[in-house]
Amino acid sequence: MNHLIGYHTTQFGELWEKSLFDLVKEAISGVLKQTSLSNKQIDAVFFGNMLAGVLENNLHSPSKIAEILKVNIPIFRAEAACASGGAAFNLAKTYLDSNSNKNVLVVGAEKMTDYSPEETITGLSAASSGEEQEAGLTFPGLYGMMANYYLDKHHYTEENLAYVSVKNHFHGSLNSKAHFRREITVKDVLSSPYVAFPLKVLDSSPISDGASAVILTNNLDLIKKQKNSVSVIASELVTDTISLKERKKIDEILATKNAADIAFKKAKISRKDIKVAEVHDCFSIAEILAMEDLGFWKKGEGGKKIKGMSTMYGNSGSLIVNTSGGLKAAGHPVGATGIKQIGEIFLQLTGQAEKRQVKNVKYGLAHNVGGSGGTAVVTILGI
Amino acid sequence: MISPIKIWRRQKDIRKILGRKGRIIVWTKIYTPGSDFKKYAPYPVVLVELENKEKIYGQLVDYKDADLKTGCEVISILRKVRSSTDEGVIAYGIKFKPL
Repeated sequence: MNHLIGYHTTQFGELWEKSLFDLVKEAISGVLKQTSLSNKQIDAVFFGNMLAGVLENNLHSPSKIAEILKVNIPIFRAEAACASGGAAFNLAKTYLDSNSNKNVLVVGAEKMTDYSPEETITGLSAASSGEEQEAGLTFPGLYGMMANYYLDKHHYTEENLAYVSVKNHFHGSLNSKAHFRREITVKDVLSSPYVAFPLKVLDSSPISDGASAVILTNNLDLIKKQKNSVSVIASELVTDTISLKERKKIDEILATKNAADIAFKKAKISRKDIKVAEVHDCFSIAEILAMEDLGFWKKGEGGKKIKGMSTMYGNSGSLIVNTSGGLKAAGHPVGATGIKQIGEIFLQLTGQAEKRQVKNVKYGLAHNVGGSGGTAVVTILGI
Repeated sequence: MISPIKIWRRQKDIRKILGRKGRIIVWTKIYTPGSDFKKYAPYPVVLVELENKEKIYGQLVDYKDADLKTGCEVISILRKVRSSTDEGVIAYGIKFKPL
């Protein structure tokens, strides 16, 4: 069994004084220190990053990480748009499955705020189909279509979506590493300007900088020595068409549904066993669809369920969602997000989640999506 | 960067889907576009199912707010789709207008 033995993340936010590889170095140093491992004890590295090649002509990142770590080991970059972090983790887990007694570092990072919003939006659009790009469809636009379709079909309003952001901003206020640490109201969300109808600024995750890292190992001696350790029970990556229009349903992300079904089957646990989850809330509608497609809520009920706020920390629900603040409030440096989600579950399972610690957690789930649903990674951790 | 060759290659497909009628399946309106679309914002984008069941995206032009609804009948037309490239090649593509 593969174990996760350490997690470190940088602050998420507008970090203008730091470069992409400053952030990578900070995350790597942090997680090595925490696990008392030296660079020479790392056997391979998997790096999740989307935009460095597009925005800053910055590729061949494995060699740059080799320079930082002063090692000559196998290092790979994974790219799957906003699921780059999840994909890197999934590859690392797969690497361990076929190599015994190895320690693997997984780091995800993104540097997004050096550029104008238009330039970053254009870079992100590289992860959509050529036809979507030609129509001027941004990612807020694609999720705006999904939201419009969902609200219309299930007779909800923009207010139903707003509760996702209110909840996640409350969680962000409890997380010192979050990009946004202020609470907001439904009224704040509804009065914020539109980004892509019906989604508004406060329905949307921000453009952020940040890096997060974890250490995975199947070295039993090392696992025994570590203070904190959780089992990687399942990690499943599923792909689907890049174009939203080619999918059978506009209000469902099939890759999420399939990844979750496979992960739960392999984990041999039920949805009810999951007490904390980090789900991919790049936009408010995305969390509602995720909760339905992961099988926690029935299709079409999400708009009603979220108004009950049972998934908010401190409420009586049996499943608390996005305690990190989610992408919405913790921030969304795209390559780092998938690692931060898994790291947050690690903190919850090992009792290190401070002000947002959920009690009696044995299993947690992380859900990372690339693009409008062309890739989904579902990871289940347990103690 | 959009190569002029890419724009040229795309023209062969665009002519096949001109003047086709269909209905809006879903729509959005973009307020924060990418660099090449900044001067058009805000603009609606629709997903249309043509009469032969083929699905196509495009911006909606010459519209009234009441046209922004599922089921609205539209026709595909040729329009400039993004700001010109550095080489000065104008990219034409599909947009829709209400019938």
